[in-house]
Amino acid sequence: MTELGLRFFLSLTQIAVVVVIVIVTVLILTLAERKVLGWMQDRMGPMEVGPYGILQPFADAIKLFFKEDIVPAGANKFLFTAAPLLALIPAFIGFAVIPWGPDWTVEFNGTVIKPFVISDINIGILYILAFASLGAYGIILGGWASNSKYSLLGGLRSAAQVISYELNVGLAIIGVIILAGSLSLVKITNAQSGWFWHWYLFAFPAPQIFAFVVYVISSVAETNRVPFDLPEAESELVAGFFTEYSGLRFAFFYLAEYANMVLVSCIAAAMFLGGWNAPYPGTVFDLLGLPSLAWIENTMWFAAKTYFFLFLFFWLRATLPRLRYDQLMRFGWKVMLPIALANIVVTSIAVYLFPNS
Amino acid sequence: MDRLKQWLKTVTLYEIAAGMKATLSHLLNYKPVTLQYPHEKRTLPDNYRGMLALLRYDDGTEKCVGCDLCEAACPSRVIRVVSAEVPGEPTKRYAKEYYMDMTRCLFCGMCVDACPVDALGMTREFEWAVYDKRQLHLNKQQLLAIGDRSFPVREKRLELQHPNTAFFNVAFKHVPQKPV
Repeated sequence: MTELGLRFFLSLTQIAVVVVIVIVTVLILTLAERKVLGWMQDRMGPMEVGPYGILQPFADAIKLFFKEDIVPAGANKFLFTAAPLLALIPAFIGFAVIPWGPDWTVEFNGTVIKPFVISDINIGILYILAFASLGAYGIILGGWASNSKYSLLGGLRSAAQVISYELNVGLAIIGVIILAGSLSLVKITNAQSGWFWHWYLFAFPAPQIFAFVVYVISSVAETNRVPFDLPEAESELVAGFFTEYSGLRFAFFYLAEYANMVLVSCIAAAMFLGGWNAPYPGTVFDLLGLPSLAWIENTMWFAAKTYFFLFLFFWLRATLPRLRYDQLMRFGWKVMLPIALANIVVTSIAVYLFPNS
Repeated sequence: MDRLKQWLKTVTLYEIAAGMKATLSHLLNYKPVTLQYPHEKRTLPDNYRGMLALLRYDDGTEKCVGCDLCEAACPSRVIRVVSAEVPGEPTKRYAKEYYMDMTRCLFCGMCVDACPVDALGMTREFEWAVYDKRQLHLNKQQLLAIGDRSFPVREKRLELQHPNTAFFNVAFKHVPQKPV
């Protein structure tokens, strides 16, 4: 009983730490996006709250928290309330299987835990994909329950887009799964240790470059970001599926969108860029004779890779205009899907020809 | 060959890369064009057409002779002048009441052009946002106050001007002209 209680306590601690890290990242992102976007457009971004506007996320959070919570007339109140949670929970739940640092085990009073991953389940990536699909329910139910034509159109577009591009995400990472022989993100990351050419982006029998490009493009589409932001196209649909939302519920949708961005960036880093592995074998701390501090270097590498992808999201947003709906669908089904399928065939043949590498 | 080149550009995402290079170059050579408005303000040109004001001569008398030409010139019917004789000085007129409804004003400056005695001026004030629109219905005292604070150097009242005649500075070549 005490062992179970201890395990429960340790897991809860891990979950709390991860959730706090994700929320802090989201807070940083909301500011960083506006700043980076401003700099790229020769503006300054937010400058008023705190020095150089660094307290802007807190001002936004306080404002959203104290705003009036409006439920539109004719809205389905239950679904209208449930939709933000349905969008938020799948976005956060995926972080349970992301390995943040080295695959260590720590024995704590007889209980063995892995400190840098909440739960190393053997179907890790499948679990993330399954819950990412559930996120579409939050969006489409939010759009439908609002009793507004803009919300409904945004929700419909979003459902079509998320389903189309989730397929491409799933097919793009199958190449990596074939190479690693496992669905567990911990095992996939461990298999990429050593020099950076062991990362699956460059790995020997079948470099996953095309799969990587397909994954990045599709993940931008899946998180409803520019240039695939048709569900919330503000020039056509006011704000898309969350047009009618305000206050805390709006904040939940916002949080879910940014948490999804962090999640797909973490997956991209873990599956294609070696996760927490440094581009060189081992770590600098190992060479310095401090192997117990190696996790700092590894988590920093993971953060650097993740933040690179997040910067790419902002960068794309500053550069590209929005796609038209038929272009979006044609691109997803006629370009991305064949590339992803061909990548699976090529990877399979390569692994068959070089089974030991 | 041309089509092959085009195809290669599409496949390698050449044009997207070119666009992303442009945005990144702006990020790296960061030169914002923003003016942090309430904290720093741009210098306005001298002929800036801002808030309207009524002016006085250097001895404090109002320039306005109540001729109503500004009211006639105004395309938006901003101005309303109630003209009257100066008490005790028949033939000399002044604006007994002078109203401006600045909610309608489009700052074209035609009233200033129309004024024969240069009694109207445009200041460089522009921060006139108010919570109540009625605060933008200005009367003569308010307009004179704006003129007093915006034009501290007043025009000299002309000598040789008969106190009983309204003085127009156009088309009267035989009376002394205003010093430039």
